[in-house]
Amino acid sequence: MKLIKIFPVLGRHVVRQSSRQSRDYAVASSAGNPSLQVFNRHSKYMQKERAASNVERSRQVDYLKDEVALRLSERLLDINRHFNHVLDLGANSCNITRALTLPDPNSNPDLVEKDPVPIGSRISQVTAADSSKTMLYRDEYLPFNQEINLTRDVLQDEELLPYEKETFDAVLSSLSMHWINDLPSLLAQINNVLKPDAPFLAAMFGGDTLFELRTSLQLADTERRGGVSPHVSPLADVKDVGGLLQKAGFKMLTVDIDDIIVDFPDTFALMQDLQAMGESNAILGREAGAIKRDVLLANEGIYRELHGNPDGTIPATFRLIYMIGWKEGPNQSEPLARGSGQTNISDILGGGGTIG
Amino acid sequence: MSAPPRIRPIEKFGQAVAKCSTELSVYGKCIVADYNAVHKDKCANEFMKLKNCYLAAAKK
Repeated sequence: MKLIKIFPVLGRHVVRQSSRQSRDYAVASSAGNPSLQVFNRHSKYMQKERAASNVERSRQVDYLKDEVALRLSERLLDINRHFNHVLDLGANSCNITRALTLPDPNSNPDLVEKDPVPIGSRISQVTAADSSKTMLYRDEYLPFNQEINLTRDVLQDEELLPYEKETFDAVLSSLSMHWINDLPSLLAQINNVLKPDAPFLAAMFGGDTLFELRTSLQLADTERRGGVSPHVSPLADVKDVGGLLQKAGFKMLTVDIDDIIVDFPDTFALMQDLQAMGESNAILGREAGAIKRDVLLANEGIYRELHGNPDGTIPATFRLIYMIGWKEGPNQSEPLARGSGQTNISDILGGGGTIG
Repeated sequence: MSAPPRIRPIEKFGQAVAKCSTELSVYGKCIVADYNAVHKDKCANEFMKLKNCYLAAAKK
């Protein structure tokens, strides 16, 4: 895992990087086809529209989306083939497309200065799709638009893909799928619009994201008001993602996680940034209106005491789940059958100890 | 002439709260001391001190 530092525009956040990585092959399948409504998609749409209409502020808080988009598009480099047509689903402000125009960090450093090779050099055409028009077109006039063949597509509903079967050579999605109500259905649709043997690469916020805020708001709510209201949206767990992908028909799955910890001066700065990102709570059944001042005041004290850093800042954890799945295709490599291995893995890793 | 940047209410709120670090810490410690058994008004006294401090700071 490479260490990448993020330097947000405001310069007030200090980013710490912890790289806990693990793979997960858990399989869970449930019968039937339940379609649960968790998020208010219209609230989410309004939040994104409102956030993007303040262009300057919205760009300032793009540090997280830009970083994750970059990490995701670097994963695309590991796939050695040419992609004719790529879909960026839930494109936000086209963060992935922008990342694709950045120089490839693995290319020959001598050549980079003269003629940098962009990460997306093997991509002919990108379609960036999002339901928030203002967000999607926010950076329409920035120079990166000229460096890649980009089409913007405003979707009526991100949960219903309007594309023909077997349209795309790859589908990417960065920091958007955590707001989808019916993830199994969307994954099945993605599988449908992919060409055979084409990859789907995505990053989404997962389970422990913002656990600090979640816990301290719960304590503040309990002590001030005697009950708890959902302020932080529920997120998919790493354990479930493998099963979801498999159920949608994807093959050769890779799921891993990556924590990005951002330090903020106080809880108000954290909440303002989340709002400016268009990432505020959009859960159905949340209380109307803003969180009460008393609760915010109590939350500041509890967050600092429970999670605060020694230097007076407060950490916020963003847990990213990266997933890669392949649509089934002819002559695709397959994992070998269980128990068919001929080599003991401890011979390769060195006899550092025994398990069990 | 450009207008001075507008300070949002939440920023004003944050600035006033930042002046009460002692009270914040006392309240936070009271909650965290036994956070599995938090109930309504468990730390009401500590909270009132914090709130008074904030109100005084906000007036300035």
